[in-house]
Amino acid sequence: MGLMTNFNKLGLIHKLLNNVTISSNNNIIYRRNIFASSTKFDLMEFFDDKKNWGAQEVKSGRSWNREELRLKSNGDLHKLYVLLKERNMLLTMEQEAKDQTRLFPSPERIDKVEDSMENLEAVVRERNIAYHQLETGETGERPSKVEIGRLGLKYNHRRDFNHVIGLLKRFPNMDMVALKEQYPDVDLERAKRSLKCRGHFVPK
Amino acid sequence: MFKPSALGIHYTKKGGPQLRVFLPNFWMKLVRPTHEQPPNMVQFSCSMEMTEYDIKNYLEKIYNIKCVDLKMSIAGPFTRKDPGKGYVVKDDDIKYAYVTLHKGQSFKFPDLFPEGESQAEENYNKSLKEAKQGFDNYLEKNKNRPNMPGWFTV
Repeated sequence: MGLMTNFNKLGLIHKLLNNVTISSNNNIIYRRNIFASSTKFDLMEFFDDKKNWGAQEVKSGRSWNREELRLKSNGDLHKLYVLLKERNMLLTMEQEAKDQTRLFPSPERIDKVEDSMENLEAVVRERNIAYHQLETGETGERPSKVEIGRLGLKYNHRRDFNHVIGLLKRFPNMDMVALKEQYPDVDLERAKRSLKCRGHFVPK
Repeated sequence: MFKPSALGIHYTKKGGPQLRVFLPNFWMKLVRPTHEQPPNMVQFSCSMEMTEYDIKNYLEKIYNIKCVDLKMSIAGPFTRKDPGKGYVVKDDDIKYAYVTLHKGQSFKFPDLFPEGESQAEENYNKSLKEAKQGFDNYLEKNKNRPNMPGWFTV
């Protein structure tokens, strides 16, 4: 609940309650509700609540996890993105503590906020992929393939579009059939149209 | 988030809405001004990727702060020697934004570390003092019998 109390302090999220629902197969589902109410806009939003100034320790709870965030609507997730403001506030306080050579109380709050933001973005991305697959049959992500490198480590192999552009720029008279064979994913016509592959010479 | 054209929104057409950012990753810190500034001027340090438009929109849309004027500068390079090996380390550059508020508005950077000792600090200092006093007493008591264990008494 600590992060929550921080929100209360900011006056952005009025009340965050924990609901407990017991489903038919006796699995307990924890829900946290978001109620966004009066929003305060001010430069003082960059600072923590006045009673935490010079405090030794500021209590805070855990970060939001993905299971909880999946239960939320898109609008609620967007409201929860006040995490951005929270992070700015914490970074401001940390910087000032550093400048004054004082201790920044409870620095783990920054990690918690960043963890929450990462989880939130992951959930939004999941929904985006699901929507794209429903509508177009593709993920909508940048195309990539997991491959195993020379050291036996896995890495994400991105599309070679820019590399092909570089090749076309350096070797404009190269064998297009061979190029197509080596990079079958790349749209050669589109690569040729790119301004980047023209090179520093007058085109024929 | 979703495909905008499905909702009848065409960003690329003339007169269409501008690209929207729903989940920005930029950060901004309000910092104590490096030099003395007019009262309606605020100094921020921000993500290196931010442009003037980004900063203006960020402050306006998220914090509802209207900025009349905006100047930016990049501070650096900051180098230091590694204390052990002595090689030179370069720290990150800092992008500063100097925002001018409306004429009537003013902002003074607050004192975040008030001078008066808090209760917790007081307790800490008190217990530290007591521990020091106890150790002094112990030394005083055993002054005349060096190299004897503390538990040994006659």
